[in-house]
Amino acid sequence: MKEFFLEHALSTILIVPLIAALIIAFLPDKESICRTVALLFSLDILLNVLVVIFSKFDPNLSVLQYVESYRWFGDTIRVKLGIDGLSISMVLLMAILLPVAIIASEPIARDKPKFYYSMLMLLTTSVLGVFIAQDLFLFFLLWELELIPMYFLIAIWGGPNRSYASMKFLIYTFIAGAFMFAGVLLLYFSSGVNTFDMEVLATNAKNLSHTFQLLCFLLFFICFIVKLPSFPFHTWLPDAHVEAPTPVSMLLAGILLKMGGYGIYRICVGFFPNILAELGLWIALLAAVNIIGAAVACLVQDDMKRIIAYSSVSHMGFVLLGVASLTSAGFSGGIFQMFSHGLISAALFMLVGTLYERTHTRAVSDYGGMTKYMPKCFYLFILASMANLALPALSGFVGESLIFYGAFSSEFFKQFPTHLYFNFGQICVLFSSISVVLTAGYMLWLIQRVFMGPENTKWSGLTDLRMPEVVVLGTLLVLVILYGVYPLSLSTLYEPSSTALLNFVQHNLVM
Amino acid sequence: MVDTILKTSWLIAALPLLSAVLIMLFFHYSRKISAFLSIGSIAYGLVHSLLVLFVCYLNPEKTLELNMPWIAAGSFKLFVGYLVDPLCAMMLVVVCAVSFFVQIYTHGYMSEDPNYSKFYSYLSLFTFSMLGLVFSTNLFQSYIFWELVGVCSYLLIGFWWYKQPAANACTKAFLVNRIGDAGLLIGLLMLFFSTQNFWLDKVTLSFSELKNALDWANSSGILPVLGVISITTIALFVLMGPMAKSAQFPLHVWLPDAMEGPTPISALIHAATMVAAGVYLIARTYPLYLASPLAMHVVAWIGGITAIFSASIALSQYDIKRTLAYSTCSQLGYMVMALGLGAYSAGLFHLMTHAFFKAMLFLCSGSVIIACHHEQDMRHMGGLKKFMPITSRTCLIGVLAISGFPLLSGFWSKDMILAAAWEHNKILFVVGVLTAVLTAFYMFRLYFMTFSGDYRGHAHPHETTPAITIPLICLAIPSIFIGLIGSPLIPGGDKFSSFIFHGKHHLHHEWGVSAFVHEFLTLQGFIPFLAFLIGTFFAWLVYRKGFSLNTYMKTHFSFLYKLSFNKWYIDEIYFGILNNIIMPLYRILWGAIDKVLIDGFFVNGSAFVASVIGNRLRYVETGRAQMYALVIFGSVLLGILYFAFRR
Repeated sequence: MKEFFLEHALSTILIVPLIAALIIAFLPDKESICRTVALLFSLDILLNVLVVIFSKFDPNLSVLQYVESYRWFGDTIRVKLGIDGLSISMVLLMAILLPVAIIASEPIARDKPKFYYSMLMLLTTSVLGVFIAQDLFLFFLLWELELIPMYFLIAIWGGPNRSYASMKFLIYTFIAGAFMFAGVLLLYFSSGVNTFDMEVLATNAKNLSHTFQLLCFLLFFICFIVKLPSFPFHTWLPDAHVEAPTPVSMLLAGILLKMGGYGIYRICVGFFPNILAELGLWIALLAAVNIIGAAVACLVQDDMKRIIAYSSVSHMGFVLLGVASLTSAGFSGGIFQMFSHGLISAALFMLVGTLYERTHTRAVSDYGGMTKYMPKCFYLFILASMANLALPALSGFVGESLIFYGAFSSEFFKQFPTHLYFNFGQICVLFSSISVVLTAGYMLWLIQRVFMGPENTKWSGLTDLRMPEVVVLGTLLVLVILYGVYPLSLSTLYEPSSTALLNFVQHNLVM
Repeated sequence: MVDTILKTSWLIAALPLLSAVLIMLFFHYSRKISAFLSIGSIAYGLVHSLLVLFVCYLNPEKTLELNMPWIAAGSFKLFVGYLVDPLCAMMLVVVCAVSFFVQIYTHGYMSEDPNYSKFYSYLSLFTFSMLGLVFSTNLFQSYIFWELVGVCSYLLIGFWWYKQPAANACTKAFLVNRIGDAGLLIGLLMLFFSTQNFWLDKVTLSFSELKNALDWANSSGILPVLGVISITTIALFVLMGPMAKSAQFPLHVWLPDAMEGPTPISALIHAATMVAAGVYLIARTYPLYLASPLAMHVVAWIGGITAIFSASIALSQYDIKRTLAYSTCSQLGYMVMALGLGAYSAGLFHLMTHAFFKAMLFLCSGSVIIACHHEQDMRHMGGLKKFMPITSRTCLIGVLAISGFPLLSGFWSKDMILAAAWEHNKILFVVGVLTAVLTAFYMFRLYFMTFSGDYRGHAHPHETTPAITIPLICLAIPSIFIGLIGSPLIPGGDKFSSFIFHGKHHLHHEWGVSAFVHEFLTLQGFIPFLAFLIGTFFAWLVYRKGFSLNTYMKTHFSFLYKLSFNKWYIDEIYFGILNNIIMPLYRILWGAIDKVLIDGFFVNGSAFVASVIGNRLRYVETGRAQMYALVIFGSVLLGILYFAFRR
């Protein structure tokens, strides 16, 4: 039994949420029942993931583990699953966020609960699938599958302007998906290996002609930075976040954006290291623009959810900077940043969501002195904000400092000297370091305007956080503290994979 | 035994953390348990740190350094650990002692506050962070705790969040400190970049190897003394951190506003410990500054300018705590100036003496504020000597100590700094002496306005409870005597310097009463005393004898008076730039790029399509979106197939 599970662990992880979606579809249409069932299944997924990590997974092996491969459309398109350190850390993040989001769904899902939880479970399958699929076609399919539940989750349970936001989200991601589709097919037809196996394609991609590599890289890269999101394709995110219900926002910022980052690591870096090195400069520049531009945008918003949404753009910019630096610290920092941002942004969206649920306004100027009525919310908000502005001993700091140190001292960037004594990458880092001040600026200003000062008596009837909300926030923030104080506990999981990836890139550059 | 004391010294920092966590999670409902846990842990820390000091005193060349990895990525590693050496031992005692007395005082000061327990947990958290900073083995770890003390300060300044000034002050304090932190971060990045190959098998950025690293980088030609990437620029970027934390001009603006916080934390954080952390960091990274004469000059001048600049503001303030805050800026300026002049031990000596007497002065002001029913304006005080004998006497001791009355603690440390200035830079000596005149003037102004004459307020002042007066008395003792350890009056002379230099201070110290008299009667020994006399005399004339120098200044030199009273309009300038230039610029940028360029131009086409489809899509389940997808993907597929097969 145990052997059977371990051999089919990954497919189990994928199938369980599908089964859950089916079962929920046949349940009575009552919120509490559906939520309980969904929660049980999500805990089962978490358990499965933990079993996978602790039983046979060896982080020190940089090859794929738990590999399963089944015929699908002949031998060309196979269902190939496998994990390495990078995949498993993202899977772990999803497995942590899912139960949390389900607990947070209680007030949202009263309307059509069956449909809601089924969609949530479908979303889970596709997101988890993206992280463990090792067949490019399957990867693409699951990537696109994620759109359907996400679209419905925003379009049905969203805010007043939901149809605009969901359609904007859909169109952006559809077009991005089309780019990737083109990339997938181009890669398949031009490599001529008659397989979509990512490992095979990765080794074959570098034999392609330079133009083809560049074209494929760009097609994939554009798709991923739409998802990440990055300037200039980021405007769907604030709209989607503003309209999405709280738990969907949590998953959107927490895990869906990480698909973009994961894709960059897995495909842009893993398939086309030469192109990455060629464009490294531009990616670093893009990262700096994201980091600062989004932080500036945060400073001028009056909508709380928009502030957090733009802050996501700013923080995901660090992932790009880490990748572009081509250093082990930068790579590792990028992955850490994705993981920690998943936890922190989920917590922040939850906090904003609890405020919105009580007051039905997201405008910062409507608040003031909320601490008086919601002290628990205040303290947790401070904790989450401090994590977001990269306070040491909280997880946000680890990724950012690794990326800063990695990118500033990168050997790769030394190839791009400028007349300003610093090399080009260093100038990007120096520019990005302004975000240390800007991030603190918008987060603290938000706290000050919402929670401090004389109280707005309009809100005097509000209740403080309820038990489920405390559980959700507590889980997330305890992990934020844990990984911030003892980052090795997370980094040992993915570190060998990220170093192996870097070695692969550098090996290719030397050749 | 000796080893055990040093090896277990991490407990000094760990226990306050433990008590903070316990109070926050479990015991916030009980005032007694919270106060007991918090005071108990720091009492342990005080005893242990005194033992550590004793051990270090007996074995001055002994240092203990333990590190463990914190994060590793490839060859890049960062460490945390603890380092015990004389400098650390001295700071441990200062932090623990001040924190201990402040925490007892808190029981009296905050007894009526509903968030009494939370205050204790924050105090413990702060004490932990500050001790962690003191224990740091490397610059990176310093940065961690550097920010943690900043956030504790933020929480404590904003403790009374419902007051708008407090809410503004805490945000401002954190932001100004973040500006400094950004500079510090850049400094560390540049330092690491230049010396990264040196650290491969060592503790990254460790203080003990800093000098070797700089020598290595300098001799191998990577890091020149002057230039864009050089020791000087690194030193100056690193200096930005201390400038913000130690409230040096032009990043001093947060400290006076921070006085909106409860008085115990003004005493602990914004007078004795955290603001001194900047001076401590300069001392820890001293090899950087020693290697660059230019950086040393900058440090000295920033200190000197801050000293006289803030003293000039303190002259005209009416808020008792703000006067003390500017005085703190000014005294910190002395310390920074001393370090910049190469007077390493003098700066640290002043840090120590100042911590005691300034903490006491703040606690006195808190006692006065409580007695006058939360009145902070000195114009509504006066004559409190009659009502508050203990507070007024301890305050007098503090005022005499800070003004440099002979044989009190401030006298020795200030004299040492001015002697160094006399030796190295005569202009800064003049600046220092002028500051000393002003210091004596405004401190006696504070004393006379508060305690002498007749009571001008409407409350019923009374002496405060023993929980407040006992810490005052306890802190008065070191305020009087602690200076003696750096004086020539004790056998061996200036024990402080020889201790800080690991017992190998190169100077031979003259000692004995005759040596003291001889030093005192030299020009550089006597001028500071003269400065004290002049300042005190004028304060006495103006505020006791009705000599109307102040009204004369107000009417005939109103320009100067207004500059001083309005703090040289620095806040107005900063807020003017922020509100009139930076924020509008941001708004325009965001509006132009996000709204017009991307959403308007880029997305216009697709957004238009979206709105058309969105309008038709009353019911999302009609499958139009799927159709749309099918069209997109179908066309892509066809395009690719065409492209692939044409080849």
